[in-house]
Amino acid sequence: MSNSKTVKAPRQAWFAIRKELDGTRRLLLTVCSFCLPLLLWALVSYTPFIWHPDIKLQLSADREGVTTVYTAGDHLSKEYFPTFVAAVQADNAAVLATREAGETSGSASRIRRANLKNIRQITPIAISNGWLTRDEAKEDAALYLTWKGVAEGNLQATNPALTAENVKIATRNWELMRVLSPVYSTKLMPSIPLERMVPQGVPANPVYLPAPHEVVLKGYRDFTAEPEGNRRSMFQRYKHSLRIVFLGFIFSCLIGIPIGVMCGTFDFFSRLFEPFIDFFRYMPAPAFSTLLVAVFLAHDAPKIALVFVGTFFQMVLVISNTTRQLDASLLEAAQTLGASKMTLIRRVILPGITPSLYNDLRILLGWSWTWLVIAELIGVKSGLTEFMDTQGRFRNFDSVFPVIILIGVTGFVTDQVLASLRIYFFPWTPESADKKRGPIGGFVAWLLDRDVYVDSINGKASS
Amino acid sequence: MSELIQLPDCREQSAAVKARFDSIKQRPVKLQVRELSKSFTTNKGQVDVLKSVSFDVHRREFISVIGPSGCGKSTLIRMLAGLEVPTGGQFLLDGESVSGPSAERGMVFQGYTLFPWLSVKKNVMFGLEVNGRSGTTVEQEAMQWIDLVGLTKFAEAYPSQLSGGMKQRVAIARALANQPKILFMDEPFGALDAQTRGQMQAYLLQIWRNVDVTIMFVTHDLDEAIYLSDRILVLKANPGEIQEFIEVPVPRPRSPEQFITPEFLAIKQRLEELIHPQKDMVLDKLPIVRMTSADDNVE
Repeated sequence: MSNSKTVKAPRQAWFAIRKELDGTRRLLLTVCSFCLPLLLWALVSYTPFIWHPDIKLQLSADREGVTTVYTAGDHLSKEYFPTFVAAVQADNAAVLATREAGETSGSASRIRRANLKNIRQITPIAISNGWLTRDEAKEDAALYLTWKGVAEGNLQATNPALTAENVKIATRNWELMRVLSPVYSTKLMPSIPLERMVPQGVPANPVYLPAPHEVVLKGYRDFTAEPEGNRRSMFQRYKHSLRIVFLGFIFSCLIGIPIGVMCGTFDFFSRLFEPFIDFFRYMPAPAFSTLLVAVFLAHDAPKIALVFVGTFFQMVLVISNTTRQLDASLLEAAQTLGASKMTLIRRVILPGITPSLYNDLRILLGWSWTWLVIAELIGVKSGLTEFMDTQGRFRNFDSVFPVIILIGVTGFVTDQVLASLRIYFFPWTPESADKKRGPIGGFVAWLLDRDVYVDSINGKASS
Repeated sequence: MSELIQLPDCREQSAAVKARFDSIKQRPVKLQVRELSKSFTTNKGQVDVLKSVSFDVHRREFISVIGPSGCGKSTLIRMLAGLEVPTGGQFLLDGESVSGPSAERGMVFQGYTLFPWLSVKKNVMFGLEVNGRSGTTVEQEAMQWIDLVGLTKFAEAYPSQLSGGMKQRVAIARALANQPKILFMDEPFGALDAQTRGQMQAYLLQIWRNVDVTIMFVTHDLDEAIYLSDRILVLKANPGEIQEFIEVPVPRPRSPEQFITPEFLAIKQRLEELIHPQKDMVLDKLPIVRMTSADDNVE
C-alpha cells in the first residue's frame, strides 16, 4: 500500500517574474493581443456616448443663397448641425409665411427650378430604403412618385426613418404637387416655393475612423468589384505591389549577401566597404526618389530601385555582422583539420551563418515592406498605394483601411511562414531538434507556437 | 602538521617505471621545441607570455602541461598547433620546421567546436574530405573512428542532440581521423562534470593505447595530469617559463585506484608546491570581515 497522496501542482501565477506561462494561457493572450485593439475600435465605433464628435447626414438640404453644399453622407460637427437645421427650418417658415400672404417672390421659372431641386432632395432616402435603385433615382419622375408615396403613407421610411416633421413637410408639398399633376411633368411644377425637408443625421465618428463593419463591407466590395474599363482589379494591384517589394528585396540579396559575407570574412573588404555604407545608410531612401525617377524613368524600375536602396545598405551591415559572429573556434578547428582558405569559406563560414542569415533576411524583408508605399508613390503611382492615395483624397477612409490591413497581414503572414519553415531548413539547430512535424502540422503549429524565437535546450541525449 | 603521512620523494621510481622511461627516451623525438617565445606590447610595456621554452617530446608520449592561470599553457599549445604565431624560436615536427595549422597536428578544444550543421559522421569525415579524399572509403574510415569512441548508434545525430561528453568524444574522433602525428588537447574535459570527466579520461587512455599518436594535454586539474601523463610540463607565470618537466612515477596501466597510492600523492604534493608556492602567506593578508570567537571551534 502506498501512502503517498497525489500532490496537486500549485496553480501557476499569471504574473510571475521571468517565468513562461503555460501553452493555453499564452495562446489566450496571443488571441487577446489582437482582440483588444479590435475591441477598442468597436467600442469607440458603436457606443455613441464615448466619442462621436460628428453628425453624419442622412438627408441634406440646399439653402437659397448659401454656396456650401452638403450631401447625404457628409460629416458635420455636432456644434454646427443644429444651426444648419434651424436655418432650414427658418427658410421653411419664410416659405409658409409668403404662401399665407399669397405673395410670390421671383420669377416662376426660377421657383420651378428650385422646386425640382427640392424634389430631388429625397434621393438618398429613396435609395437607402430600397424604393429606388441608384439609376432609377436619376429619373425625376420616379422621385416625384416617391413624394407621393411618402405623403400618402404608402412608403414607410425605416432605414433611415423620416422624422414626423419631414413626413408632414412631404404631405404639405404633395398637396401642392398633386393639384397640378399626379405624375411628373416639367410643365406642371408648382410655381410657388415648396418646403425643404429638414436635414437629418446620426452621431458619427470623424470620417477618418470608419466602424469595423464599414471597413469589412467596403473592403469586400472593393476586392470583389470588377474593374471598370482599363483600371486594374485589386488583385492585380496586390500582385504588382508584391512584385515591387520582392524584386527590390531579391536584387538587394543578390548583391548584398556576397558583399556582406566578404566583409564579415575579410577585414580588407570590411575596411574598404563598410565605412562608406555606414555613411550612406543615413541618407533616407525617399530622398533619392526624384533622382531614381530621372535615372530609371517613371514606371516600376525606380520603385524597385527605391526598395533596393532602402534595404541594401542595411543588409550589408547586418550580414557582415552576422558573419563576424560565427564562432571563431569553428574556423580554428577546421584549420587544424587541414582546411584551406576557400574551404573555410565554403564549408564552414557559409553553412555556419545560414540560420542567422535566414533570420536576418526575414527581418530585412520586413524592412523592404516599409518602403513599399513610398516606392509606389514615386513616378507613376501604382499598385495598392495608388488606390489608397486616390481613395484617401476622396476621404474614403473605409476603402483605405482594408488595404493598410492587407499590407500588414501579408508581411506578418510571410514572416510567420518563414519562421515556421526554419525548423525544416535547419534541422540541426537546437530549437528544431524536437520539432518534427509534417507540413500541415507545421502550418497549424505556426498559428499556435511562438517557440521558434526562444532558445530551448531540449532533445539532449544522455551519455 | 606532523600527523601527515610521510610521502616518498617523487623522483624515486620503481624499477619497472625506470625501465619504461628509459625505453621512451630511446624512441625518436617527435616534437622539438626550441627557445619558443611569445610576447606582446601593451601601453605598459612588453609582456612576455612565454619566454624561451625548450623541450622534446618522444613518439607516443603523453605529455601534460600545467601551471598557474596566465602562465601561457594555452598559448603554448595554440602556437604548436599553428593557431598563433610565435614571436621567437621555432619548433620541429619529425625534425622539420613547421608553421601554420595543418592536418598533421590535430587539436581538441575545450568548447567541442563540432560543426553543428553536420551529423556526427559528417563531422568526422570533414578532415578527410578537406584533405582531398572522397568516396565510400572515407565513410567507412569515419565509422571506424566513431566505433572507437563508442558512438556508433549516434552516427547520424546532430551535435546539438549529444551530451557534452559525447560531443568531446566526437571531437577526439574527428581529430584522430586525420591520423595526426601529434594531438594537442586544450583543457578538453574542463567543461564536463566530474563523473563524465573520469569516464572521458579512461576513454582517452584507452584510445592512446590503441592508436599511434603522441598527445600534449593542457589541464589545470593535477589529478588528471598525473593520471594520464608520462611527463608533466610545469610552467610558471610572469614570464611564462618552464619550471620543471617531471616524470610521473606512477606505473602503467593506470586505473582510478592509483589516485591514493603513495607515489601518486607524492607527485601531487610536489605539483601543489610548484603551482601554489605562497599559499599560506596569502591568508594573512586577506581581510577577514566576520570573525568567530576562539572557543567557537567548529573542528
